[in-house]
Amino acid sequence: MKAAVLALAAALLLHPAEGAAQQMREFSAARQRHGESRLATRLDFGAGSLRLAPGPVTHLYSLQLTYDVERFRPISRFDPVAGTVHLGLESTGRSGLRVSSREHLEQTAEVRLSPAVALDLDVALGAVDANIELGGLRLASLRVGTGASRSAIRFSTPNLAPCAVAVIEAGAAEVALTGLGNSRCDRITFSGGVGTALLDLSGVWTSDADLDVSMTMGELTLRLPRNVGVKVEMAKFLSSFASAGWTREGNTYLSPGYATAERRVNISLSTTIGNVNVEWLR
Amino acid sequence: MRTRSVAFALSLLAAGGIVRPASADPRNAGDVAAGAARDIWHFIQQIRGEGSDTTGPVRSRPQASQPQAIPQAAPQGLTLDLSDLSHPLVLEEHLTRLADMAADDMRVTVPNGTARLGAYSVGSDQSIAGHLLVVRGDAQVFGRLQGNLVTYDGDIFVHPGAVISGDVLAIHGTVHDRGGEIGGESRTLSAVAPQVAAATPPLSAGEATLRRLAGVVGVFLALAALGVGLAAFGRNNLQVVSDTVSHSFGRAFVTGLVGQILILPTFGMLVVGLVLSVAGILLLPFAVAVYVLLVIVGVVGGYLAVAHAMGETYTRRRLAQGILVGAPGSYQFLLVGLVATTALWLAWALFGWVPVAGSLIRGAAILITWLLATAGLGAALLSRAGIRENFAGRIIPPEALTDEYLWATPQFGVPAVKRPGTGSRATGQRE
Repeated sequence: MKAAVLALAAALLLHPAEGAAQQMREFSAARQRHGESRLATRLDFGAGSLRLAPGPVTHLYSLQLTYDVERFRPISRFDPVAGTVHLGLESTGRSGLRVSSREHLEQTAEVRLSPAVALDLDVALGAVDANIELGGLRLASLRVGTGASRSAIRFSTPNLAPCAVAVIEAGAAEVALTGLGNSRCDRITFSGGVGTALLDLSGVWTSDADLDVSMTMGELTLRLPRNVGVKVEMAKFLSSFASAGWTREGNTYLSPGYATAERRVNISLSTTIGNVNVEWLR
Repeated sequence: MRTRSVAFALSLLAAGGIVRPASADPRNAGDVAAGAARDIWHFIQQIRGEGSDTTGPVRSRPQASQPQAIPQAAPQGLTLDLSDLSHPLVLEEHLTRLADMAADDMRVTVPNGTARLGAYSVGSDQSIAGHLLVVRGDAQVFGRLQGNLVTYDGDIFVHPGAVISGDVLAIHGTVHDRGGEIGGESRTLSAVAPQVAAATPPLSAGEATLRRLAGVVGVFLALAALGVGLAAFGRNNLQVVSDTVSHSFGRAFVTGLVGQILILPTFGMLVVGLVLSVAGILLLPFAVAVYVLLVIVGVVGGYLAVAHAMGETYTRRRLAQGILVGAPGSYQFLLVGLVATTALWLAWALFGWVPVAGSLIRGAAILITWLLATAGLGAALLSRAGIRENFAGRIIPPEALTDEYLWATPQFGVPAVKRPGTGSRATGQRE
């Protein structure tokens, strides 16, 4: 009896249980710059962790991926005539939805873009932890769409070119846009679904700007520098707005010193359910 | 005793298949001993988690081959078009077939290009027109290449002064740009990362059994805690649902089945209805949360009521047999019922590793759990969460409470009319 128990225990210990290992691969793509002056970049990344930052001027772009073989395949398509590149991952259409856990290895993407070319950037993110540094690029236009993501989009240093428009659309997300003063975008549109959002208007404003901000449900924080005049046209429903210190004219709120400010930012703000907080930068 | 221990250790190693069978050839005894020692050391490393064991289709890079040209294939043979490298996975598939061949058997046609086996170098004074494929070796480029460059199981080195007009692709290798000029895109595609398998090692059957056991025990404790709470704060509702299961099992099951089918449509109607009404849209988040909560309460509470009913039935049978069970109550009924409903899952946890039988046990456990949960949900719906007693066998219509009914009601399993001293003889009537 004892021997049988020991044999069973040994068999249990040494018999490998079923369970498929996740298969990850690495893929990289890079292109040297040969006189290009403009690049329209489309970046798709469905799940994982993404880092995007300026790269060396000698290269047009570079991409380094670690991806799940079963669910995704890498994309790297450059069209020299149209001046476009499509980077990232596309779904293989297999395996359906995988509920991630700590045991699953994370997909990663590291993208570097040239600061020497005018850039039209279109980023589509799914369930992604994104860290996007756009300061130091020559950003001509920006479009970011995120799903259930946590995204930090920064302009730590000024954009090297004027930017016509920046559109950020977030689903159920935690989004932080910092240094928007450095973006040099004439019009910035932020559309948030459910979650939290931080709009940090710090940086060097070189012109006046318009912001269209809408938040369906959640908390929105406006971080405002005192040297910029801010006008908020508010359309809120079941929402609160910390308006202490503002001058109110109907649904319009003016920050202190708005009339005399050298640079002005006009915010059209629409919220449905949630709070709008204001933090003043020194 | 010691002999038995050694024998057991050897049997353990043999069971794991880590000791190679000993050779009868005495000349190989040394090799066998060295191999066995290496195997045992490998086994110890595996136990310590240091093993380099990998699973999955990990392809290790083979040794570089003797440099030579690969001849062209026959007209129907393998042809690789290297003019478009934007689909490296497709190219890899074809190249894997080629690379798996023996060196002498390799044949491939590269339209507008050449193929090489083993390391290859383009000298600084060389200029090659056309695409270049290098298999099982590195490609060193010092000169000019008018086309695309692909290596399989090899790296690409682009040295200063080198010019490649097209794309470069290193499959299972790396591109080392040391200052040369690449006109197109440089891509690399690794083999399946070997550290992945090490990061997610398959569980041994023992570990998997322990994990399953922990899961079953955890679920049992969670249900027991919920059951205790339900018995403490909603005993009457629990008992009514439980009685509904016992008294109207078939009806409860059908109701539960219909309820499961209607859960999603009802949810959709609720959401649409609230969205369409102006005031209702404000209630939408709360309504969704409440609906989900109600479904969970219905399923879990119904399941606990089924466990209660099972425990009550079992305990009453034991009492009827005269076996002392203590002071039976809802807590004991729930405990007994939960043990019964968990028994099959326990069997799966212990023997789930057995091929075929493990899957059968798991399937049976899932089926029975679903049956019980469906009946429980149906009973909860029928009894309106234990408020209505219509299906619990408790309500007797007032018109039925006649003297005749009360007189003829069975007591202790024996109809009163048949008790000694009662019935026809007592009334003086003859049958």
